[in-house]
Amino acid sequence: MIARASYFTRTALGGMWRDPFVHVVAIASLAIALFGFGLARIAGAQIDGLVSALGGEVELTVYLKDGTSPEDVAKLEAALQQRTGGATKVVSPAEALGRLSEQLGTQGQALTELGANPLPWSVEVMLPAQARDAESLKALSQTLRALTFVDAVDYGADALERLAALSKGLRLASVVAFAVVFLTTIVVVAATLQLAIYARREEIEIQKLVGATNRFVRAPFLLEGMVQGVLSALLAGAALWALAVFGAPQAAKVVAFLALPSGSKLVTLRLLLELLALGVAMGLSGSVVAVRRFLRS
Amino acid sequence: MFHVTKAFGNDAPTLVDINLDIQKGEFVFLTGPSGAGKTTLLKLVFLAERATRGQVLVSGRNVARLRESGIPYLRRNIGVVFQDFKLLPNRSVAENVGFALDVIGTPRDIVRQKALKILKRVGLDHKANVLPPKLSGGEQQRVVIARALVNDPAILLADEPTGNLDPALTVEIMDLLCDVNARGTTVVVATHDASLIERYQKRTLRLERGTLVSEDRGAKAALLMVQR
Repeated sequence: MIARASYFTRTALGGMWRDPFVHVVAIASLAIALFGFGLARIAGAQIDGLVSALGGEVELTVYLKDGTSPEDVAKLEAALQQRTGGATKVVSPAEALGRLSEQLGTQGQALTELGANPLPWSVEVMLPAQARDAESLKALSQTLRALTFVDAVDYGADALERLAALSKGLRLASVVAFAVVFLTTIVVVAATLQLAIYARREEIEIQKLVGATNRFVRAPFLLEGMVQGVLSALLAGAALWALAVFGAPQAAKVVAFLALPSGSKLVTLRLLLELLALGVAMGLSGSVVAVRRFLRS
Repeated sequence: MFHVTKAFGNDAPTLVDINLDIQKGEFVFLTGPSGAGKTTLLKLVFLAERATRGQVLVSGRNVARLRESGIPYLRRNIGVVFQDFKLLPNRSVAENVGFALDVIGTPRDIVRQKALKILKRVGLDHKANVLPPKLSGGEQQRVVIARALVNDPAILLADEPTGNLDPALTVEIMDLLCDVNARGTTVVVATHDASLIERYQKRTLRLERGTLVSEDRGAKAALLMVQR
């Protein structure tokens, strides 16, 4: 077992050493695909952060009818706290009028001329991140509207639905784009590896004539695919890190609202491990395709 | 071989209804003009080709019906000396010889040890680290024989092993094959060199246009059989 592992390693590394051009092409293709993947992951995380920040103000307001009893208000508060996990606040008509007046500024003076306060009692809920799902908020507002003492419910439905649609669309687009890049890269890697296999066809022919199994012939090439995957992941990781460290501050200067975190926070250990796993998977897939085609022919 | 026929596509068969029996430990010449089917017949034994019809029994087993996955294990028991050598030009002599051991997972140091031992037997241990293109034709042929023997196979098939060699080297190689046979290995040599057959007086099978046309047991072989 050890003898075989040692032979496969020697053969794989020897093969890469003897035919560097083909392997450099394969590693470069893989590294470019992984770099794209890494960029998409970083951009995705930033967009998620942005969406989350934009939704930071999400608040649900329940307007109550005149004459709602304090017991009903207390029950409503408790139910809302339990359902959404957010903090609630009861706003009196006087407080609401005060806020409106403040928002209107100098024009707010006009409100003092109103005889009676036209604003209703209301309960405000600060929605935590996990309770901002547009679908469940829609269902909650319908339930609330059915209550006899509730006049109206407002939670910025349009804005939330648009943000959710944007986030969903971006995710879908990145999955489709990644699938295309993934398959294209496997084809490129398989094609380049096939050149490497073709260059060693004589060696493979002799191996088979002296009693090598297909598995034995395949193993060094699979190992080469894995090594290519690891090297390309390291390259892509280094390039992303360099871009994050040197590029992110420049980007932040141009687009101030992005407020990008520092380079090392953009390229996380998790992202590097993902690149490594993906690189190995793509290198291995490419070599499996190439060797299978060769052994069949 | 029983009623073995080999045809490639729709062409006329290369081998037609071949029946022959080679005993364990025998030395047999397979002769005939170029294109008679000698190489194809050898290929049917180590399954580089499969018979279209008939049975090819190796150690009592019909290899003509052997599954693809069983072929490597059959080949480990058959040493083959190829007409075109099939040596890797960028590997040393010892590495070329050790190739047959590498594929069965033999540890590196034992591969080297066994390769040197067999190279000594063919008189090339001093060239162990040389690349094949630096060797003469006869030396390359001896490397091929060493590679075929390093696994200690039960059968040695040699396809025109002296085809490109001068008379002195031919004798050298043939003596080596006779020595291998004397140690118990069954040897089948395909050759169209009549002088070789004349000189060594072994059992000779003659192929012509894919058919086995004659069998000559050879004076020495006949004598040996009488003595037995």
